[in-house]
Parts: sequence; C-alpha cells; structure tokens
Amino acid sequence: MRHLADISRWCDDVTDSASPTRFARRSLLKAAVLGRRDESDLSLILTGNSDAGVADRSLVYAVTGRILDVSPHILVLHTDAGEQRFPLTASAEAWRGGPVPPAALRQGDHAIIRRRHPGGPVLDRIWAEIGRVTGTIIERDGPASLLVDEGPAKGRRIVLIRPEAASRIQVRFPRLEPGYLIDVIGLKHDGYLQALIPATSQPPYRAGHPPAAPMVSGHVPDPVSGTAVWHEPGEEPENLLGLAYPALDPETSCEHAASMSPVCPGDQNTVEEWAVDPHATGSGCVRLPYLSVGSLIRLRNDCAEQDRVVPVTSCGATARLFCDRCVTCGTSRKGRIADLTMAAFVELGGALEVGCFNATMMIGA
Amino acid sequence: MLTAIREVQIPLLAAMLLGACLAKAWRAWRPHAHPARSDPAGLFPADLRRPIMILVFAAELGLGLGLIGTAVEFGRGWPALPATVVRTGTALFFLVAVGALNEMRQRRPDAGCGCFGELSGTPIGLRTIARPGLLCASAVATLGLPPLRMPSSPAEAELWLAVLAFELALIAFLSPELSEIMVRLGYSEPCELRRMPVGRTMSALHASAQWRRYAGQVSAGSPSDVWREGCWRFVVYLGYARGRPVDIVFAVHLQSRRPAVRAAVLDADTDEVLGPTGTRESAVL
Repeated sequence: MRHLADISRWCDDVTDSASPTRFARRSLLKAAVLGRRDESDLSLILTGNSDAGVADRSLVYAVTGRILDVSPHILVLHTDAGEQRFPLTASAEAWRGGPVPPAALRQGDHAIIRRRHPGGPVLDRIWAEIGRVTGTIIERDGPASLLVDEGPAKGRRIVLIRPEAASRIQVRFPRLEPGYLIDVIGLKHDGYLQALIPATSQPPYRAGHPPAAPMVSGHVPDPVSGTAVWHEPGEEPENLLGLAYPALDPETSCEHAASMSPVCPGDQNTVEEWAVDPHATGSGCVRLPYLSVGSLIRLRNDCAEQDRVVPVTSCGATARLFCDRCVTCGTSRKGRIADLTMAAFVELGGALEVGCFNATMMIGA
Repeated sequence: MLTAIREVQIPLLAAMLLGACLAKAWRAWRPHAHPARSDPAGLFPADLRRPIMILVFAAELGLGLGLIGTAVEFGRGWPALPATVVRTGTALFFLVAVGALNEMRQRRPDAGCGCFGELSGTPIGLRTIARPGLLCASAVATLGLPPLRMPSSPAEAELWLAVLAFELALIAFLSPELSEIMVRLGYSEPCELRRMPVGRTMSALHASAQWRRYAGQVSAGSPSDVWREGCWRFVVYLGYARGRPVDIVFAVHLQSRRPAVRAAVLDADTDEVLGPTGTRESAVL
C-alpha cells in the first residue's frame, strides 16, 4: 500500500504550530472539491493567520482576559487585544464561586464576560476563576480529595470538595469512588479545582461501560439534538471559538495520540486500574458521524435561541462516556453532542455555572 | 406420540442452554459490552455481579453438555442417575430463572433479561417469563426418559420433526430476541459511521481516473493533508500547474465498492479554484 508509513503525519495534532492554518483551510478545500460553499461565516473563520486571530474576529459576545481593575462602575480587563474598559450597569451579574457583586471581583482574576449586545461595551455577565473538571475518578484520598482523569487529550486534575459543598455535590454524585464519572464546576486554584456545583447527575454505570447507542438505519439524522457542555481551555487559546467533537475520525485523529499517551510508572498499579480510554468504550449513547478537526458545525442553543457556525478544534471523546441529559430548558435528548470551549459556550448564550444547554447540531453547515 | 414429545425436549433444552451460554460469552468477550446492565445479576451488589454471571454461565454450560452427555447409551450401560440429576438440575435452573425474571421485572422494569447476552435488551415482559416456564416444564417431562434412539420409521421421524417445529415456533413466539436478530442480520452501518482505513481510501484514489488525470501535476510523494467528514475523505497533494504552486484536492466517497472520486485544483497562494469541480466518476477498486 502506498504511503502508509506517512499516516502518522496526517494526524490532527492540535499542538502542531502549523496546524491551525491547515485545519482552517480544510473547509475551503472541501467546498472547492465538492462544489459548494459552506457558510458565510467561513470567511470570518478563514481570515487570520493564527488561532488567536481567528477567535478575536469571531467572538462578538464573549471576551476573555485578566482583571486589571474593578470598581462599582467600571471593569478593566487585559485581553489579547490590549486593555479594554467595560462600564458596569446595575443589572450586570458576576460569579466568583457563587453570585457576587461585580465590585467583589479581584484584581488578577481570570475572567470571561458576556456582552449584552454584539460588540457593545455593556456587560451582561462576568465569570471569574470558573473551572470545570469532567472525567473518571481514578483515586480518592479521604472524603474530600479526588484525582480525576479527563481523558488522553486533557490529562488529570485534582478536585477538592470542601464540607460546605459536599452535600450539594453528593446529592447528584452519590458515588465519589474510583471508576465512576464526575463532572463538577468550581473555582480554579493553583493545581486543583475547588468543586462547588455538580454540572450534571452522575450516570449510574461505571465510566468504562456507557450504554451502547441504538443502531442507525439509512443515514444519521441531521440535525442531531442532545447536550452541549463546556471545557476549560487547557492548551487552547482562551478566546478560541470552537468545540471538542466526540466522534473524530479514528483513522486520522486523536485515537492514535491516545494510544501513545505516556503513563507514569508509579501510577500503573493503582490509578491506571480505573483510568478509562474513552476511545475504547464505543460510540456512547448518541451516534455522530465521523468528522475531523476543522470541520464546521452549526450549533444552536435551544434555550437561548442563538446559533453559530463553530469549527471542530479538538477531540472530545470523554463526552462519549456521559449518557446524560441537560434540563436547562426542558429535557434534552440523551448524550453529549458537543464540548464547547468556554468562549464558544458563552458566545452561544450559555451560563457557565449551569454547565450545559439543550443543543441542536447541523453537521456540514 | 407422548414419547416423541418427551424425546425432542433433550436436544432442544441443550441447544437453548448452550446458545445462551455462547451469547453471554460473546458479550463478555466484546470490549464495549456492559457486563451486568441487563440481566438479573444487576439485582445484586456490584461486587457479586461478576461471580453470579460466571455461575450462571457455568451452570448453562454444564447442564447443556450434561444433557447431551447423558442422553444416549454409551458402551455397556446407560448412566440413569447422572441423567436424572442433570435433568432435575435443568428444571430447577429454569424454575429459578422464572422467579429471578419476575423479580427483575418488578424492580427494574426498563431492563432486559440478558438471557442471550446483548440480544436480550428488550424489557422483560410476560412472554420473557413464560419462556423459562415452558423450558422448566420441558425439563420435567424428560425425567425418567430412557436413552434417546434414532427414529425407527419414517412416520416416527416426521412426528419428531413436527413436534420440534411446533415447539421452536412456540419458543420463537416467546422470544423478543428474534426481532433483534432479524434487525441485526439486515443492518448495514451508514457510511458516515463506518470506520474506513486510510489505506483503502488511498488505494481507491490511486486506482481512479481522477488520479491518473492529475498525477502529472503532483509534486510531492505523499499527501500534505488527509481528513474525513461524514462519508467523504479528503486527500490534498502539493503540486505545480499553469506555472504556479497548487493544492490538488481529491474527495473519495467512503463506500466499499466503486467509490466516487472528485478532484479540484486550487492556487496555493490565492485559493482560486483552477481545475474543474464536481467532476464525478467511479473508480474500480
């Protein structure tokens, strides 16, 4: 077979510095060869030579940055575009471990804000130091400390549950034991997340045994409905408009990387016993067509009635493990169909502390 | 007539037990299967589920083989006591199954019986409970039956077959797994969900007329990018045409036979489309 030795170099390694341009061109090349233009939004996404450039031009509601100063009347944020000032109105709401007055935010906090109007200066919501851990519990140390595996692409995180939040979390996550899933929202600290809010209800099965999806006859329905969630940026730019897709093509995407993920020698006997490779657990409870990094998806927030074309920017295989529903506005269909970046989630009108919204996805937008 | 009915039960019971055993083994062997999602083992604490599953598997295997091993006369004598033990054990096994399924139906109405592994995902109904009841009665009917023998006349053979057909039809009526089997036999995974090795895509591409048409313009030995969207896989080669560097893009449809292949040529600097688009042809693999 010709060129089989070169397969590894096609893999969608999002850390490759040359990749953003390569991925961004894919929609253009696809449109050229299939004879159709994807979307008017495509031109927005294709302009710009870096990820940061792409996102800056695409986000109209969400802004991310570090708080330089805050007073009852104004918020000063250091963003990639420089220092930006946002007047604070009486209706502006802020979150820092819970609802707080905007003036209670601190200098140096990492914040993500949502504008009331596209591109306008007036703020609607501010979230400071918000974080999320989603994955499989692989170690428990006492009643309050958990080590969580977020999958081969994201690594491991420490979650601390303080007594004041424990009962709230354990109502929705009764099994805080190795082998079970967890999804919590809280405050980011150096090296750990202080869990405060359960982002979903704990699935009753062990992480490695999600239910199988029903068989699909004919073609996969388009649009697909389900749950959209968000994840922390990790190695991605903070203001990236994108999503981690649960069904990347296994031949050219993250499953190759997953099989090569390093294992710490000391972890092998205890922790590794519970670690789950989401690529080895089947398709999850919703069948999604295989796509690649760079594919464009039109995603609609059914609760806020907003929609955007969002590019696939990373692998979201961990979402396959969660066969849950979102109840933000009515009850969604089972299964996570998109794991958005924080900026994309806010851009689509989602509330980060809620954790999900009911979503409809049109593939090949 | 009555003897014929009783004699048919032993191969039938053995086939049911060994079939259930094989289906469970198949589910356990598959990496994506859930070990205790839809069977009565789910009624027990998590630590006991696996031992109970192994126990049920071993009982089905042992009873199935035991029924066959004690059904006919070997050598000088026929082991009457082991045959009675195995047949009594089979009757008790199905009796316990009736109770377990009834309990499961009340406590987990959404769960399947798991009798035939992942084929038994349909919620337990009265038909599902009636089936082990029927098999229990079949096992009781075999108690005291002498060793099996070949039919002595064509008429007796026909009677055997008629009884067997009737009972199989009755079991099929009581088995929700049958519809699942029929669905799976006729199922073909949509192309957008089917895994397709890159090597097969490359083979299809290199055998196509589109490749032969543009191969002279390709300047690199291997593709600069390969990706997939739904039923299409895209392959990009760097090339040189009309005096400027170009990207030659091929789209290969991911169907197994005679996949459609399309091609386009774009200026590498301006992204202007230079070559024809939408030219469709079928390559022979």
